[in-house]
Amino acid sequence: MINIDIGATAIAVLTLFGIYSLMAISLNLEYGVAGLPNFGKALFISIGAYTAGITYTRLLPLLAGAEVIHPCGPTMGGALQLRSEIMASQPVAGFINLGLTLLIAAAIAGVVGFAVSYVTLRLKEEWFLALVLLVGGETVRIVVRGADDFICSHNGISGVAQPFYFVDDPRSSAFLFMLLALALALLAYLYSQRLIHSPFGRMLKGLRENEDVTRGLGKGISLARAQIMLIGSVIAAIGGALFALNTGFVNTNDYVVNLTLDVWVMVVLGGIGNNRGALLGALLIAIMDRFTQIGAIVLNMSNSPIEFNYVRFIAFGIILLWMLRYRPAGLLPESRLTTNAHDVVKRVIGASK
Amino acid sequence: MPSALLVTSLVNTIQIGSLYALMALGITLTFSVIKLPNFAHAEYVTAGAYAALVISLSGVLNPFIIMAAAFFVGALAALISHLAVFKALEERQVSLYTLILASFAVGLIIRYILFLMADYFNLFDLRIGIPLKILVREGSLILSNLFAWVVPTSIVMVILLTLLLNATPLGREMRALANNINLARVIGIPVERVKNYTWLLVGGLAGLAGALWGLQTAVNPLMGWAAIISVFAAAILGGLSSFSGTILGAYVVAFSENTVMLFLNVNYGVDLAYKPAIPFIIIIAVLLIRPQGLTDLIRRAGDLGR
Repeated sequence: MINIDIGATAIAVLTLFGIYSLMAISLNLEYGVAGLPNFGKALFISIGAYTAGITYTRLLPLLAGAEVIHPCGPTMGGALQLRSEIMASQPVAGFINLGLTLLIAAAIAGVVGFAVSYVTLRLKEEWFLALVLLVGGETVRIVVRGADDFICSHNGISGVAQPFYFVDDPRSSAFLFMLLALALALLAYLYSQRLIHSPFGRMLKGLRENEDVTRGLGKGISLARAQIMLIGSVIAAIGGALFALNTGFVNTNDYVVNLTLDVWVMVVLGGIGNNRGALLGALLIAIMDRFTQIGAIVLNMSNSPIEFNYVRFIAFGIILLWMLRYRPAGLLPESRLTTNAHDVVKRVIGASK
Repeated sequence: MPSALLVTSLVNTIQIGSLYALMALGITLTFSVIKLPNFAHAEYVTAGAYAALVISLSGVLNPFIIMAAAFFVGALAALISHLAVFKALEERQVSLYTLILASFAVGLIIRYILFLMADYFNLFDLRIGIPLKILVREGSLILSNLFAWVVPTSIVMVILLTLLLNATPLGREMRALANNINLARVIGIPVERVKNYTWLLVGGLAGLAGALWGLQTAVNPLMGWAAIISVFAAAILGGLSSFSGTILGAYVVAFSENTVMLFLNVNYGVDLAYKPAIPFIIIIAVLLIRPQGLTDLIRRAGDLGR
């Protein structure tokens, strides 16, 4: 048997929870609230990760006042050592680098999301958007992997350390990173709650339910779609940057269709259209992920012939089908949306009775 | 480009295009009759390939038996996914996105069951054991018995499918369903039974394609999934509705992936690693510029010929 370190496991699960929450909230805004089937989630997540790969290799040395070493090929080892030294000794450079990474990633993802939503206007059938995003995500991945100098093709970039790497005690370091991830997730949650309960959010739900009626009520639906794709993509890219920092690697193999499906499982499991549902889904998947890893290690150590990671995917498929079939609204179904005026009227009526 | 390379790439185009056609016809058929863009289609291909591999490893080397087994297993996988998953969802009239998501989930389950099985019995990257024979060797042109199996079988299957759709009662009923399912129900077509047969046919063709695919390359649990985007590209070139368009689309995709890619590689130094981007570009271009696919081009060509 292996000893499971409860503290470390809790930190790992909660960090993952924060990162997954960002992804789930962004898909929930796009699909749950506005009804846009983003099957290219991995694309927007990967934008954050690839940006981190670029900034850690090109920007970070400049911020620390060192020479940029080409990260791929024969100088790979030297560049990795330089990164690690800077992250360990110059926390300020690390934080400025992280801030810029998030800003750049958010900007690129926002522009891509905005542009993609305009593509949908030209599509004959709505589900083509799902296909275009799915296919677009894979194309970007292949092009990035094919480019030798970008993030070193299939080798990827290692040593993408989280900003608290300079803290000597690994547990405190991981704990601080967990707080950062949770804080960003909380911000995204509060922001999206505000958005859902704003007139704009109600209009998006109207768009989801019936496009023609919403248009008939005089709302500009193409701009609204573009805006929500922009917001969703920005949140997803920030989640992606943290995802890369959490694993310490940027590799194109991580941003495949399966990652998109993971995010979909979170939202469908938690509750489509409900942000708390998205958080619950993210938490459940984070726990499941961590325990699959532990399970895989235990099985490997006991020389079992079963590869546990395959079981994880089968379980995900079954969960997804089960939810779609028996609880399509998710564990925490979307609550009825009421306006302030509605609440006031209800209170007045209640008081007069 | 040297002519030797050109000839080899054209042979590849025909061979791979025929396989794409077999798979893409299934996608088009599912989309028009069942109204489902089925992403689990790829896994029926893989399931068929593994059925063929297991049969061949057990010592049976008759290609007809191998292909029949692949057809059977693919058909079974498709029918089970219909009965266990899609049927109930369709009855609840869920949105198309839910169906797409469900098809991803079905695909995930089948793929990783195959992974588990392949891992347990050590069946990664094996070839289906029909002995390789060289039939034609003309300079650089080499045609093996694999070519002789793959291409004629695919073409015969495509012809049989066309005959089935156009000249049999079942085919007529399928086309009626594709056209208007409510009308089909009203005039007394046994809709459920026709759907079941459609799934069997679609899965069977996919399984058969898997066996033929496994003859020319190695069998692994990702083989179907790796081809699915190319196959969707072919079906979309056919407008997801026309069978002749789909077949033409399959060869167009195979041609772009083999001959055009090689041309770009030799003349402009484009890395062959970008090959998987070609079907993506085709899909995006078609959806944006010609969502109806090649169908009306074919019709127009027919009009010109008259």
